[in-house]
Amino acid sequence: MDASTMKETAMNRQQSRRTPRAPAVIAGALLLALAGCEWADPTRVQNPQTTPEDIAAARNPTAAMLPGLRAQFARAIRATVMITEIVSDNYSNQRTGLSTELNDPYDMIPDVTTYNTIGATGLYWNLQELRALSDFTIDTIAPGDATATDEGLAEAHYYRGMAYLMQGENVAAAPAERDGEPLSHTELLRRGVADLEASLGRLPGGDFAIRARAALARAHRALGEAGQAASYASEVLGADPTLVFSQPYSTGELENTPWIYLVSRALKEMQPLPRLDFLDPKYHSRESPIPVAKAEEMHLILAEVALAGGSWQEARGHIADAVALARTRPTTTFNDDDARVNRDLSIRPRDDDMLVRADADSPFRAGLVQSRPGPVTVYTISGTSLNADSVRTQLTTQMEVRHAFWLARQEILFLEGRRMHDLGIRLPMSRREIDAGPHISRDHPAAQPFVPDYVPTAGRMNNFSPDSPYTRRELGEDPFTFEITIEVDMNRRLAEHFDRASPLLRN
Amino acid sequence: VKPFRSLLAGATVVALILVSLGAPPAEAQQEPGVVTGTVVDATTGEPLRGAQVVVRGTQRGALTDGDGAFRITGVPAGAHNVDVTTIGYARGTQAVTLAAGGTAELAFQLRQTAVDVAGVVVTGTGTAVERRELSADVGVLSSRQIEEAPVTDISQLLQGRVSGATVRAQSAQPGQASNINFRGISSVFASQTPVIYVDGVRVDNSSGRGFDIGGEVTSSLADILTTDIERIEITKGGAASTLYGSEAAAGVIQIFTRRGIAGAPRITARMEQGLDVPETKFIQDAGFAYPFLEDEPDFNPNFVRDEFLRTGHFQNYYLGVTGGTEAATYNVSGRMQHSEGVQPKNDGTLFTLRGAMDANVRDDLSLDFSGSYTRNNFNRLFSGVAISDPLTALEVGDILFFSGQSNLRDALDVYLLPEIGEAVNRITFSSTANYTPSPLFTSRATVGVDFRANEQRILEPIDFVVTGDEGRVDRFNRDFSSVTLDLAGTFRYPREGPVTSRFTIGAQGFREDDSAMWGTGRGYSLPGFGHFGTAADITANESTSQIFNGGIYLLENLGLWDRLFLEAGVRFDWNSAFGETVGFETYPKAGLAYNISDEDFWQPTIGRFVDVLKLRAAYGATGTFPPAFERDATLVASPFRGESAPRFDNPGNPDLRPERVATLELGFDAGILDDRVGLTFTWYDATTTDALFFVPEQPATGLTTQMRNIGEINNRGVELGVNANLVRTPRVTWNVNATYNAVRNEVTDMGGQEAFNIDAGRRVDEGMPVGAYYMNHPLDTTGDGLLDGIALDWIRHPDTDEILIPFPDRTGSIGTDVTLFRNLRLSALGDWSRGASIIDYGTAWATFNALDRIDFPTRHDADGEPLRTYSYTEAFNYLLMDGNFFKLRELSARYGVPANLIGRLPVERASVYLTARNVAIFTPSHQPIFADEARPNLIDPELVGVSSPGQLQVGGAQSITLSPPRQFRLGIEVGF
Repeated sequence: MDASTMKETAMNRQQSRRTPRAPAVIAGALLLALAGCEWADPTRVQNPQTTPEDIAAARNPTAAMLPGLRAQFARAIRATVMITEIVSDNYSNQRTGLSTELNDPYDMIPDVTTYNTIGATGLYWNLQELRALSDFTIDTIAPGDATATDEGLAEAHYYRGMAYLMQGENVAAAPAERDGEPLSHTELLRRGVADLEASLGRLPGGDFAIRARAALARAHRALGEAGQAASYASEVLGADPTLVFSQPYSTGELENTPWIYLVSRALKEMQPLPRLDFLDPKYHSRESPIPVAKAEEMHLILAEVALAGGSWQEARGHIADAVALARTRPTTTFNDDDARVNRDLSIRPRDDDMLVRADADSPFRAGLVQSRPGPVTVYTISGTSLNADSVRTQLTTQMEVRHAFWLARQEILFLEGRRMHDLGIRLPMSRREIDAGPHISRDHPAAQPFVPDYVPTAGRMNNFSPDSPYTRRELGEDPFTFEITIEVDMNRRLAEHFDRASPLLRN
Repeated sequence: VKPFRSLLAGATVVALILVSLGAPPAEAQQEPGVVTGTVVDATTGEPLRGAQVVVRGTQRGALTDGDGAFRITGVPAGAHNVDVTTIGYARGTQAVTLAAGGTAELAFQLRQTAVDVAGVVVTGTGTAVERRELSADVGVLSSRQIEEAPVTDISQLLQGRVSGATVRAQSAQPGQASNINFRGISSVFASQTPVIYVDGVRVDNSSGRGFDIGGEVTSSLADILTTDIERIEITKGGAASTLYGSEAAAGVIQIFTRRGIAGAPRITARMEQGLDVPETKFIQDAGFAYPFLEDEPDFNPNFVRDEFLRTGHFQNYYLGVTGGTEAATYNVSGRMQHSEGVQPKNDGTLFTLRGAMDANVRDDLSLDFSGSYTRNNFNRLFSGVAISDPLTALEVGDILFFSGQSNLRDALDVYLLPEIGEAVNRITFSSTANYTPSPLFTSRATVGVDFRANEQRILEPIDFVVTGDEGRVDRFNRDFSSVTLDLAGTFRYPREGPVTSRFTIGAQGFREDDSAMWGTGRGYSLPGFGHFGTAADITANESTSQIFNGGIYLLENLGLWDRLFLEAGVRFDWNSAFGETVGFETYPKAGLAYNISDEDFWQPTIGRFVDVLKLRAAYGATGTFPPAFERDATLVASPFRGESAPRFDNPGNPDLRPERVATLELGFDAGILDDRVGLTFTWYDATTTDALFFVPEQPATGLTTQMRNIGEINNRGVELGVNANLVRTPRVTWNVNATYNAVRNEVTDMGGQEAFNIDAGRRVDEGMPVGAYYMNHPLDTTGDGLLDGIALDWIRHPDTDEILIPFPDRTGSIGTDVTLFRNLRLSALGDWSRGASIIDYGTAWATFNALDRIDFPTRHDADGEPLRTYSYTEAFNYLLMDGNFFKLRELSARYGVPANLIGRLPVERASVYLTARNVAIFTPSHQPIFADEARPNLIDPELVGVSSPGQLQVGGAQSITLSPPRQFRLGIEVGF
């Protein structure tokens, strides 16, 4: 290295030793200056979800919440149908996708997974959320919203009324606010009536008012108020003698949950009682609408009012009206691949030449089972094995009319979430509610299901014999495998205990 | 609080202090000289790669290359001490006097030690610190320990090599990684995967960011590089991790990649060919599952083994070059890898390009850059709990029913229709400036980024009838970026004498942006359709997460007579996920390390039995920050019939703060028997307070759950490591090492919340381990000795009465390596696990098809009459399998071809190696814990089992899952 290079190197070093401070000071100043620049702030995060402040800034907040209520109503309906149909005698739960406890109402403790969920099958949860979301819309949003309309509020009250109504029918008790005491099913129904009346008050005419009246007929029936029930039922029939209001579903968004367990899943957990086989599957697509209010139900409410008043001959006419209307409803054909498989892999009745009787004392009847897998007739709104003329002419005792009444309700309102209430079964509060509620004791009566004593134990409502007819036929053991006997005819039990079974009399 | 301003002001203060503390270096009046030399093992003469050579009192230093050679330039003339440290060897020191412009040559022969106190670590210590000063255990894996390991992802590198690490694999499929857990489960919500840094930059360590295809999830650990690693440092939470603040409760793993070595270009080429052979020990096969097909002419009872599984070909090619000048070095490499997998439609292709460049800009300033690009494409099959999983469907007797076929071959053809592919592109970049203006003061600033994009696509063509969807495509795209900034300065004064002091101040932070979009198209009219646009119904969604975490830390380390070291530090942390009422979180640490064997009294007395003994004690807190936006009250909406339908979402919690884990640890490092046997022992007690639970709201409010800091969890355990150099002669060395780890986990406080399940049958409750089994089991209610009822309760082992848990509470490993004649190195590694019980869902599902993999007990009535057998839901505990195992994990042989054999070939060095992984697994002969009669070996207990995306995985439930295959590799490496 020559002298000049050495000097240069030394100079560079000298420079280099001096320089670090200046850039550092500049960098420090820059950092401090940056503190004022929000765009450079790495701590700033933006939550892409809507917050309460966003709602406050909305132009039409009440109107904006209504689609939420509509969707939640759809969730509440499908969850109610799912649970109540399996807990009742209409369906049993075979295979593996749902809690086994659903098969026996006495097993319906608050912990049952399919019930104590906030998912699609959570009856308790989805009704509470519908009510709470309606509360938020009606009590929190609407009072400060000058753009809220009567139409919008009538709709919101209808949904809250329906939430209370379905709770009152199916749940023993439920609190209706944070830290609240559980309200009894009667109190829940009363609140339902108040909301449905408020809905009518906001909007006395039009299609929506008919739905509200139909719901009021149902609510007063549940409350045992025969006069008002009959009055609203008659008003509905006067306004629309063929009323059908159904809740539609939508692919990929909110799908018909019963359809999943009836049709979509390979395991097809929901299997009907063999005498109701012909009505299955009512929902054959993911978008199938679930009927919420129908004229048939109004006829049957009038029939029940007549029966409760002792006028069984008059009741016969109303039942016949309901049956006649049901028989005019459309049907369609669906290629059902359901192989009717039980939990133990045995085959359930699945051929149309099978004869079925409702219990050992009833006659065998043909035509109640459709052949599967294969094309079947589907009753998308109503179906029944009864015949209007026969109802009018061949039912000659009060007991026969009562039996026909319960059967008509069971068949015509099949898969619509009415049967469990008709059996008098009420579900407990969910485990989440009991655990999280400060005023809810674990010993609260509504921490247990309520099941009338005429409902048999151990899921026997779902039993029939022979329980695996095909196996026995293959083994050559039983020559009578085409005859199926249901163990218990729950309609007979309801008819026999009519005074306790009919809501018009039991309350 | 304006956190940004506070943090920025803090960082500025740190930066200014760093700069102003930098006193001008002593003037170097004379022309500097050069120190060169070699570092070899004193016994075997084997060159030591990656040893750190430092001229004491200067900022000059270098790393040794593959021949153990080093070259340090710019060393001032005069007398110096030169120190060499490397993992597993005693420190070497030599004095040298350098003439102006002269060159000195040194030859170091380092003595191997069984206990490592001389190695240097930097993770969680603020600056480079010798292990003898550490008050808390930091694990280190050197390149020598990992370069021959036959592993495909970073999690496997830790398996059996780090005491206190529990590593559980997922399955044989590509793109997945093992679960890593240090020191027990400290949270009931957060993933227990340690945070991972590569060259100072925080990188994506998430798993399950994509679709769950039946309980197996892909992991970003699968595309973190495993070649060109110089060293891995591991802190397992507690005091060693405190400086990382709110991100470090699960521990920190830091990977250091290879740097360049000055000199002429040195090229390394490597080729590996291998076979992956399926592990069929746990396969029952078609003869068991389809007995009714026995009489069919084409039926093969070994269908799964013969016609489903296969031996896969593996190939891997690597080319690297390093070199440079004294001013700048480089190290660049590329790698291509292809693996076929042991199931059909399982394959993976990996390309990696990486480089490191270090520039000595000035005497006091160096700039280091490193970066890598990884492209990973792989294909998988549905797995585990999916009814579309061919292996499960074959094994539990489902495949004919769900495919609608009458023979296994046609059914398998249907099951192989779906295409499940994932493509990952990942770029990681790190730049570090080291500014060392004076021996008294060192500082560094690191800025880096990790960017990872993955695209997952699942196509079920219209002919795939299993799910009944009539054709479906799912696609998931995620972009992840993380930016890390790390500033630290260390002031050492006094540096020598009876009292030494080291004060470090630092600022560290990162920001993560995670943006994902996914969509589903369902329903095709014709075969061949598969794009979204051709589907009958299309839905899409997205998610966004943004997190900033930053903090400032101070750390003082006081050395007394170079043997007692006292340490105290604190980190103040702020995170954008904290609630409004939560300001800065404070994490303190304190510790003590006492090298008692350096005391004068030691050597003549106890020193005759114990050569080296370091005692240590440390207390430190770390945290786990909550997920982004959990603090906010929100509404969410979903589409319904042409409208956007709002509903309640998160209730909001302004008090949301991190979980805190405070750890007390005590331990020692000892070398005995002439330092041939090293012992490392640590006892720890770690308590998580403010543990985050998803607390259910009252359903009456319509609100779901809110994350709240209400719980407390305790983990107590011991970690023991033994390393014995049994034979140490120039021709033969033989080492044996073993680790043992035991942990006891307990939820000590539920904060008033009711017990809840985190997975089917696994529950969280006060006084119980996280995820302890709570399930239906048969019961004798009448006292006649016959089972007649059902109870839902904790499950205890029938013999030991211990509560059964889904994860192991004792794990360990044993390894050995032998070197013969310096050229041939043989090693073996095995690991074991005890204490876990595993739910075998395969057995449950087989019962749907009346297949008895185990015998369920008979249920009696109250009169003692037999009714029927219990169903699996009634006797869920019968599905529990004994999870104990020992796996012979790795075997390897490496032969370094001697120079005389290379002869006139145009290569400088060459080696050949043969490795095997997952060689053999030993499980209890009777796996079911409750069933009396059973066929053995139903499940591979190592596997973590059904995993749900993202959060805590306690493991413990398996469907039929294929074990990781036996992997055999033959490799040739040559250097030019």
